[in-house]
Amino acid sequence: MLHVENLTASIGGTPILNGLDLDVGSGGVHAIMGPNGSGKSTFAHALAGRDGYEIDGRATLDGVDLLDMEPEARAAAGVFVGFQYPVEIPGVNNMYFLRTALNSVRRARGETEIGARDFLAVAQEAMDLVEMKEDFLHRAVNAGFSGGEKKRNEILQMAVMEPRLAVLDETDSGLDIDALRIVASGVNALRRPERSMIVITHYQRLLDYIKPDFVHVLVDGRIVESGDHTLALHLDDHGYADFVNHDLDDAPERPLSGAAR
Amino acid sequence: MTATSTAEHQEIAGLTYPTKRDEAWRYAPHDVLGQLSFGLSVGSARQLPPAFDASISALEGPRIVLINGVVDAERSDLSALPVGLRLSTFEDARRDQPELLAVHFDSDVDLSTDTFTALNIAFGSNGAVVHVTGGHAIDVPVQIVDIALPDETGSTSCSGVVIHLEEGASATVVETRIGDGDFGGSNTRTTISLGDQASLAHIVLQDIALTQVHLGRVDATQGAGSVLRSHLFNLGGRYGRVDYGVRLAGEGAKVELTGLYLGMGNQVLDQQVTVVHAAPDCTSRQSFRGILDDESTGVFNGGIDVRPGADGTDAEQSNDNLLLSDRAEANTQPRLEILADQVACKHGATVGQLDTDALYYLRTRGIPEAEARRLLVGGFADQVVDTVDNEILRTWITERVRRHDG
Ligand SMILES: Nc1ncnc2c1ncn2[C@@H]1O[C@H](COP(=O)(O)OP(=O)(O)OP(=O)(O)O)[C@@H](O)[C@H]1O
Ligand SMILES: [Mg+2]
Repeated sequence: MLHVENLTASIGGTPILNGLDLDVGSGGVHAIMGPNGSGKSTFAHALAGRDGYEIDGRATLDGVDLLDMEPEARAAAGVFVGFQYPVEIPGVNNMYFLRTALNSVRRARGETEIGARDFLAVAQEAMDLVEMKEDFLHRAVNAGFSGGEKKRNEILQMAVMEPRLAVLDETDSGLDIDALRIVASGVNALRRPERSMIVITHYQRLLDYIKPDFVHVLVDGRIVESGDHTLALHLDDHGYADFVNHDLDDAPERPLSGAAR
Repeated sequence: MTATSTAEHQEIAGLTYPTKRDEAWRYAPHDVLGQLSFGLSVGSARQLPPAFDASISALEGPRIVLINGVVDAERSDLSALPVGLRLSTFEDARRDQPELLAVHFDSDVDLSTDTFTALNIAFGSNGAVVHVTGGHAIDVPVQIVDIALPDETGSTSCSGVVIHLEEGASATVVETRIGDGDFGGSNTRTTISLGDQASLAHIVLQDIALTQVHLGRVDATQGAGSVLRSHLFNLGGRYGRVDYGVRLAGEGAKVELTGLYLGMGNQVLDQQVTVVHAAPDCTSRQSFRGILDDESTGVFNGGIDVRPGADGTDAEQSNDNLLLSDRAEANTQPRLEILADQVACKHGATVGQLDTDALYYLRTRGIPEAEARRLLVGGFADQVVDTVDNEILRTWITERVRRHDG
């Protein structure tokens, strides 16, 4: 499925990702945790195809190289990123946007497009999943949505797009308790043997709902530790102190304290 | 046809032709304007493009069609007028309602500085009168179509529209200004008067041929509690210009002017707006948006003029421009003069490019770049189109706007 090898990304000469390695198998759910500014969102953007990074290394999905593709081609290849900060697009109707998105990838894959009426059923099902009211479909994309509504809208899009790989960047941030449950159960409902997920989060709380197969710790642009869900529990108790400045070429060598788990 | 060039006219009537030094004409292509010629209307023997007929008949309802400043009886429809609506040509009105025309021709515009208004008064002897009698609400939109089909290079037709809503009356009037063929254009002038509590939805669709020139003027006087919502879609022409002069004369009157201009090639699209608050507690909104591609130029020159005694004025103005090319240009000029108390007055202007984050977001959802751009540009334009309440009209306009924003 997803294979990432020695991925580096920098902006204007400043390195952000410093040789990231990650393999996610079919049906796998991996969580990525890490301190602010460690490069989690940059990793998501590097997979989605955002402009402006100098990128090196490899990232393949089902053996297909993603890094040379335009963002739209990656979407057609099955990549979906739920963003930490979804963009507001005034004037563009949410429903129309969703249908255009779905039909764009279908067209790119040589599949038939979905008509307005059939799409309504698709959208309705997705709406039910995230318990979103229908009037959100008739509003402009994310425009004036609350923080939590934007995050639900990301999951709604994921449900419509049915991606092969979903990367959810802090979809749980800013959600109230009910919304967190809704988003998490939405994600669980979308788990499939043929679909992989990367869930970026700061909170163990989300991982109580979404039981990840693996938890990775991202520090200074690389994965410094991987484990099962108990790693998240450990982080919850101890923070990132054990991992920060660990094993960095240009950082002073420091003894690891309490890293034994 | 006794055509005279603008230059000759200056000599004949002692008119002063505007120059770049006149603030209101600063961005106009003066070389192009200098090639226009004006004369008495004689109509046209030319064929109308079939698309014009299709567009005109796409909107059902009463209408008056003028070609080169002459009423085309065949294309006009004055049958089955709803109760309360009197729709007539200037020719009929001269006989039946001369007082309505008097307002139109006794313009208080300073003719010594506005040559084109003077020419319109001189040669715009044909046109349409929309008169709604007291308290009547006219549901079906009334359509006035002005078509320019220049017979000789440079010939510019003149015509007029008079809209008079008596007290408590309401109506929707759609003015379409289109053109085809050689270089030339149209010069139209609309005089609106709204009685107390009257309400008018007014749409101007300026979609003349890209080689031609359109010069439009809309003057409105509003009585107490009246509401004018005018929507301008300034799309066509080498030079497409509409001047608004609105006078809020009665207490509590409201005016909402929204505009959208879409420029490509070397188009210059010019909107000159002045709203005069002459009575207390009136509200005015000016909200204009431009999307400018290639080497096109957009101009918004908007004035808010609050006269002494117009206390409690609430006035806002905004002009937002989207530049799709680094050779395109947007010029915004606010003019505020406030001579009353307790006045709330806001204005703002923005110039920007397409939002790259939004573009990226759409592309990550599989939407190809070109289509994503179209979506964003369309979204920017739709926010203006959406201000049109009537759904049929909104659809009709969306279709016409789409041809320009691709
Ligand atoms: N356009 C940019 N220009 C310069 N630096 C940038 C840019 N974008 C990101 N960075 C830097 O890259 C680093 C990683 O940012 P990133 O958003 O990937 O962090 P993150 O792990 O997602 O953090 P958070 O947990 O706060 O969301 C940060 O130090 C950030 O300031
Ligand atoms: Mg982040």
